[in-house]
Amino acid sequence: MGTLARIRRYSLAVLSVAAALGASLWIKTAGMRSGEMPPFLFALALSAWFGGPGPAILALFLSCAVFDYFFIEPVHSFMMSRQEAPYLVVFASFAVLVTWFSNSRKRVEDDLREARERLELELAQRRRREEEIRSLNQELSKRSLALETSNKELEAFAYSVSHDLRAPLRHMSGFSELLQKNAAASLNDKGKRYLLMILESAKRMGNLIDDLLAFSRIGRAERRQTLVSLDQIVREAVTEVRTQAAGRDIAWTIGDLPSVYGDRSMLRLVLVNLVSNAVKFTRTRPNASVQIGCLEKRGDQAVVFVRDNGVGFDMRYIDKLFGVFQRLHGPEEFEGTGIGLATVQRIVHRHGGNVWAEGMVNEGATFYFSLAAVEGDGH
Amino acid sequence: MSTLGRILLVEDDPKDVELTLTALEEYNLANEVVVAKDGQEALDYMYCKGTFAGRSGENPAVLLLDLKLPKIDGLEVLSRIKSDEKLKMIPVVVLTSSHEEKDMVASYRHGVNAYVVKPVDFHEFVNAIKELGVFWAVINQPPPGSVPKN
Repeated sequence: MGTLARIRRYSLAVLSVAAALGASLWIKTAGMRSGEMPPFLFALALSAWFGGPGPAILALFLSCAVFDYFFIEPVHSFMMSRQEAPYLVVFASFAVLVTWFSNSRKRVEDDLREARERLELELAQRRRREEEIRSLNQELSKRSLALETSNKELEAFAYSVSHDLRAPLRHMSGFSELLQKNAAASLNDKGKRYLLMILESAKRMGNLIDDLLAFSRIGRAERRQTLVSLDQIVREAVTEVRTQAAGRDIAWTIGDLPSVYGDRSMLRLVLVNLVSNAVKFTRTRPNASVQIGCLEKRGDQAVVFVRDNGVGFDMRYIDKLFGVFQRLHGPEEFEGTGIGLATVQRIVHRHGGNVWAEGMVNEGATFYFSLAAVEGDGH
Repeated sequence: MSTLGRILLVEDDPKDVELTLTALEEYNLANEVVVAKDGQEALDYMYCKGTFAGRSGENPAVLLLDLKLPKIDGLEVLSRIKSDEKLKMIPVVVLTSSHEEKDMVASYRHGVNAYVVKPVDFHEFVNAIKELGVFWAVINQPPPGSVPKN
């Protein structure tokens, strides 16, 4: 509170006492009996109410002095007789009471004001925070739009590149085959071998393009969410892969699997990839075994695994395992384009799950993926 | 084979033309093939204009039409033929590299008779061309006004 306000408050005390004095003097000359005291009480109450404790005390002392001087015998002196003292005591007690009342009111008022200020501050902060959130949201939606656009462009690019790459590829393999067919007789062994390599490379590039297309399609495709029985799609995947591994002796162990919500054809692709990997990498094993099952649920997540006793992998290269076109084996060892596990990861991530793997060279590998299982499922 | 309908092959890529002709030759289907290397030539042929002004008036038994063509693209050629009362009966087969659904839908909307995606694998390509040739130039009865099978 400023000095000016303080001066104003004390002046109020002085002025109200002066006014009370005037009124009392007038009452006295008018001859009303015992009418001198009330104006001073009024002045005191006024000072206490509007001025606070300081001005109230000032008003009290001034009133006492003035009252003593003008109205208590002997008049025009600050002396007082014994029987007049109770007047002053009553006056002083009343003054204390009024001051106390007005003080408590002031405290309550101050508390209220403080509370209101705090509230206003909080409100302002909240408004500011809301503003921040709004601008962050705007930024976010702008970015997600940009991301969506660039994603779409990227997918369109991958798609059109894949298609424009197909034509020259078809020509390469087409004319090489024609050459092989029409001119094989005039080619020596070296020439025939070169031709074979051209054909193999063209075929490999065709596979790469097909896989790249399939991979880019995962990003573009709308997911159709349905209740998918993993039991059933594992059976389908195993049946599909078995036909490719005809004549091999593989011990299959398939445990109970839960049902999940997801895109059936995508989840099927996940299992076909994992199962065909297991079959592929156990090729060198006389007693190949593949286990498929589900771990204990972790919360609402079901963890499905595909385990094999194949060639395994070195855990040092775990980072590369799920990368696009990343391979841990040479093409003469195990065929493949290096996109299968990238596809698996992309699909599982799109379903809000996780993929990971454990393995040891020559000791086999286990691939895990987690998906939100459907509650109340029988397993 | 003596009962052969005429095929109009509309294809801008000479290598694809050669591969297609080779595939057709392999099954003796290439004798009655006319090649147009862009959409303008294809329409010139259909309307006996330009380089084809002097040709005999009969229509081909089938058009094998690529979609990505210089000057006038395949979809435009298709829509012009299918909106012409005199030509709309002629079977048109789109033969393209495009898997794009919108291309396929647009082709069918314009009234295409078949939509074939060129396989990358040469054997599959040869097979597809052979089957197309055999079906449209031999098995199928072309509409009236086509080159008579002799």
